[in-house]
Amino acid sequence: MLRISWRRLALKQISSDKCFGGLQKVFGHDIYLPPKAETGKCPALYWLSGLTCTEQNFISKSGYHQAASEHGLVIIAPDTSPCGCNIKGEDESWDFGTGAGFYVDATEDPWETNYRMYSYVTEELPQLINANFPVDPQRMSIFGHSLGGHEALTCALKNPGKYKSVLAFAPICNPVLCAWGKKAFSGYLGTDQNKLKAYDATHLVKAYPDSQLDILIDQGKEDQFLSDGQLLPGNFIAACTEKIPVVFRLQEGYDHSNYFIETFIADHIRCHAKYLNA
Amino acid sequence: MMEEEAGETPGLHRSTAPHNFHFYHMDLYDSEDRLQIFPEENTRMRREVVQAEITSEPRGAVKGKTQRDLEEEVDELVHLYGLEDDHELGDEFVDETTPRIEVSEYPPYGMTRREPAREQRDWRLSAEAAETQDLGFGGWGSAGQCQDLREAYRYTHGRASEEYECYVIPEEEDEEEAADVFCVTCKTPIRALEKVFDEHKEHEVTPLNKALESAKDEIHKNMYKLEKQIIEMENFASHLEEVFITVEENFGRQEQNFESHYNEILETLAQKYEEKIQVLGEKKKEKLEALYGQLVSCGENLDTCKELMETIEEMCHEEKVDFIKDAVAMADRLGKFLKTETDVEISAQPDFEDQTLDFSDVEQLMGAINTIPAPSAPVINPQAPNSATGSSVRVCWSLYSDDTVESYQLSYRPVQDGSPGKDHTEFTMTVKETYCSVTNLVPNTQYEFWVTAQNRTGLSPASERAVYMTAPSPPVIKSKEIRSCEEAALICWESGNLNPVDSYTVELTQAETPEASGVTESVVGIPTCEALVQLQPRQSYTIYVRALNVGGPSARSQPATVHTTGSYFHLNEQTCHPWLTISEDGLTVVRSERKTSAGELPTSNTRFTRCVAVLGNLIPVRGRHYWEVEVDERLDYTVGVAFEDVPKQEDLGADSLSWCLRHTFASSRHKYEFLHNKTTPDIRITVSPRKIGILLDYENSKLSFFNMDISQHLYTFSCQFHQFVHPCFSLEKPGCLKIHNGISMPKHVTFY
Repeated sequence: MLRISWRRLALKQISSDKCFGGLQKVFGHDIYLPPKAETGKCPALYWLSGLTCTEQNFISKSGYHQAASEHGLVIIAPDTSPCGCNIKGEDESWDFGTGAGFYVDATEDPWETNYRMYSYVTEELPQLINANFPVDPQRMSIFGHSLGGHEALTCALKNPGKYKSVLAFAPICNPVLCAWGKKAFSGYLGTDQNKLKAYDATHLVKAYPDSQLDILIDQGKEDQFLSDGQLLPGNFIAACTEKIPVVFRLQEGYDHSNYFIETFIADHIRCHAKYLNA
Repeated sequence: MMEEEAGETPGLHRSTAPHNFHFYHMDLYDSEDRLQIFPEENTRMRREVVQAEITSEPRGAVKGKTQRDLEEEVDELVHLYGLEDDHELGDEFVDETTPRIEVSEYPPYGMTRREPAREQRDWRLSAEAAETQDLGFGGWGSAGQCQDLREAYRYTHGRASEEYECYVIPEEEDEEEAADVFCVTCKTPIRALEKVFDEHKEHEVTPLNKALESAKDEIHKNMYKLEKQIIEMENFASHLEEVFITVEENFGRQEQNFESHYNEILETLAQKYEEKIQVLGEKKKEKLEALYGQLVSCGENLDTCKELMETIEEMCHEEKVDFIKDAVAMADRLGKFLKTETDVEISAQPDFEDQTLDFSDVEQLMGAINTIPAPSAPVINPQAPNSATGSSVRVCWSLYSDDTVESYQLSYRPVQDGSPGKDHTEFTMTVKETYCSVTNLVPNTQYEFWVTAQNRTGLSPASERAVYMTAPSPPVIKSKEIRSCEEAALICWESGNLNPVDSYTVELTQAETPEASGVTESVVGIPTCEALVQLQPRQSYTIYVRALNVGGPSARSQPATVHTTGSYFHLNEQTCHPWLTISEDGLTVVRSERKTSAGELPTSNTRFTRCVAVLGNLIPVRGRHYWEVEVDERLDYTVGVAFEDVPKQEDLGADSLSWCLRHTFASSRHKYEFLHNKTTPDIRITVSPRKIGILLDYENSKLSFFNMDISQHLYTFSCQFHQFVHPCFSLEKPGCLKIHNGISMPKHVTFY
């Protein structure tokens, strides 16, 4: 399959398959259009995948189409990192570089030119989507898994009011304190702690102005990264206590895998729909 | 007389019929002496009046000849009304009724004035005809004539009502010299210029329009009066009609009565005649026989005498010896013969014995013509459905059509229900009608009624006894126990009657509709003291209950109001743990500060004894129910749902019969558990809810909890409700829970 760089803003349709009465279009980022989109504008829901995941992971594994079709949501699943930038060291490790963009706007060389995932997700991609698809720009939400979950939380917390709701599966909640985060942040952003904290959900909570945000986090109890201290949801919950309404569900027996996502994805989409269709 | 004329001249028929009608009933009521109520003189007089009117010169402006007839009519009417100067007004009267009221001595009922002139002509004509006719009064009261009268009456009656629907106020005609003011003094329209110098100089004038308005007002007032009069007259006529029928009936009955009586008398007389004739014949025969016998014996005597004479004469011619011999023998024989006395008394007198005729029985019969027989026993009707009220019944009976009854004696007493010592007094009342509403009775009670009829001759036997039942007392709605949801309401009530009633009826009125529109729906035939009624969502209903028995429905109960917004329930005090108190409105649960209770509480199947809890009474309707609970963030509480038979000696959520959110607050940490079967998912909630929304969804087998202040979904149980559940509330520490229900479900909760 031909892949298109995320940097190329022109849309080129790679595939279009009928799915749950809607169309699954792959444009380098995946867009699912529900049947409702044929007659009117629908809310947009952005899905951010986790480490090493491409959008195809989400499409094929999570089976979200039925819920999206039912609630009339356009789902956009961008790639997690720029592709084909040919930056040295890009493919050296799975948790940094290709597939692990960490959704930040890199400030460190050599990443600063191409690795601007945060701006892409919050600005460029929505503009592109709004311009080309029947979506309502006023109604958008964001959710994701693991690193994507972190990005979802960060995007929402950095842009009060931009997203109607934010949900996450096993998000990395406090990257400045976990091994992945330390590695990636220092690589992309350098060592300025304030710069790092600007992309840390747990720290962002403290600066969040009001509580008009409903956060749902599902976390597998058997998640190895949870026990490894990579995710640190407890820190985030503590930060949110009496400030931001979070429902944190520690799901017995689930790990970090896509099976976990698949189990609760419909629940999450329904939860988004509540806010987006309100 | 008059109706014959009417037959000849249809125009007159119309106008005279009411007169006839007016008279006829008097005729029927009164003696024939009064029938000459239309003496010739009268007719003639009236005719003259009419003629005088006709000949009076028309006044007013010069009009075209084609209009002449109309002008005449109008003019007459105007004249009659004393409105000579108001031509416009006069025109209006063409269609008015009773203009003749001032000249006619007769009631103006039903007179039609559409073609007055022609009518008058007819009138005149017929009056002439009447003069030439024999004015003797024909036999009144025959059925045919009565029929004629009634038809005539109806005709005019109909006409009268039709005509009053068209009042036409003609527009003022343009005159050549347009008058623009109205001279009040002369009562005529004039031109303003004339006012300055003419004879109107000193006169009061008003603008013509104003004069017209006031004149129209006046006319309208008159029209109104007339309308009223018409209504009165129509009422009067219908009353007359009733009287007419009654008279006909009464007299018919009397005719029958007379006929039967006179027949009886004639029969009696004929019988008496027969008897007398027979007796007389027998007497005659007897006498003749006696006389004949006497005659025969007399003849025999005569023969004997003659024979003796002959014998003696023969002896006289005999010789002496023989003579002496024979003479001695003869003398003996003669002596013997003469000794037998000849009866010359006439045994039978030719004249009659003085035989008095006994007419006493006939007299009695004659006397009885004007009296009537005592009535036979009336027939009492069974109770008519729905005829009773709580304190009264309407008893009806009928009489035999031949009977004449002056009054009835209606008696009743309560039906004995076998309870001794009670005073079952009989009551009796006298009524004139064949029905009676008996009041001041006890509700929902059987009474035995019987009736006797009475007239001046005597009293009838009593009718059969009929049992009537008073309607029940109105039930009493238990307003505090009403539960409702969006689709239905469960209404409970107390019977209000000691004895059982047949059924109950629930009446629903939608509150939006005005009171006048009344009942929109009734649910009937409810056997018990509660009913689940289907309703429309988000409406307000006023609900009444009636109790019914054979006698009919009770009065309405006091109203109760039901709102079908959200689900509405009260707490079930019977399940309430003794440490909890429920506020007056039934929706606030308080556990007050107190020392731990001394001793174990007795176990119970209905009352919570371990966890300090209470159940709510949710309406048993599947569907969605939503309510909210206001809590203190630091309070330890449990809220959720439980089956009614949830073990009362265990904590809520400790088994499979309840689903609950339990909040515990310890060392400044909040713990939220979603308990069912003692297990809970591991869920952390960062913002403590102060107002918890609970959505019970039978359709999707779900129970969801929400933080309502921030519209946050907290948790959803998937649960199988094999029977109805009830809201449950528990306080593990002193404090209070405030329940809000009867509120519509927020939109966001419907996503779960």
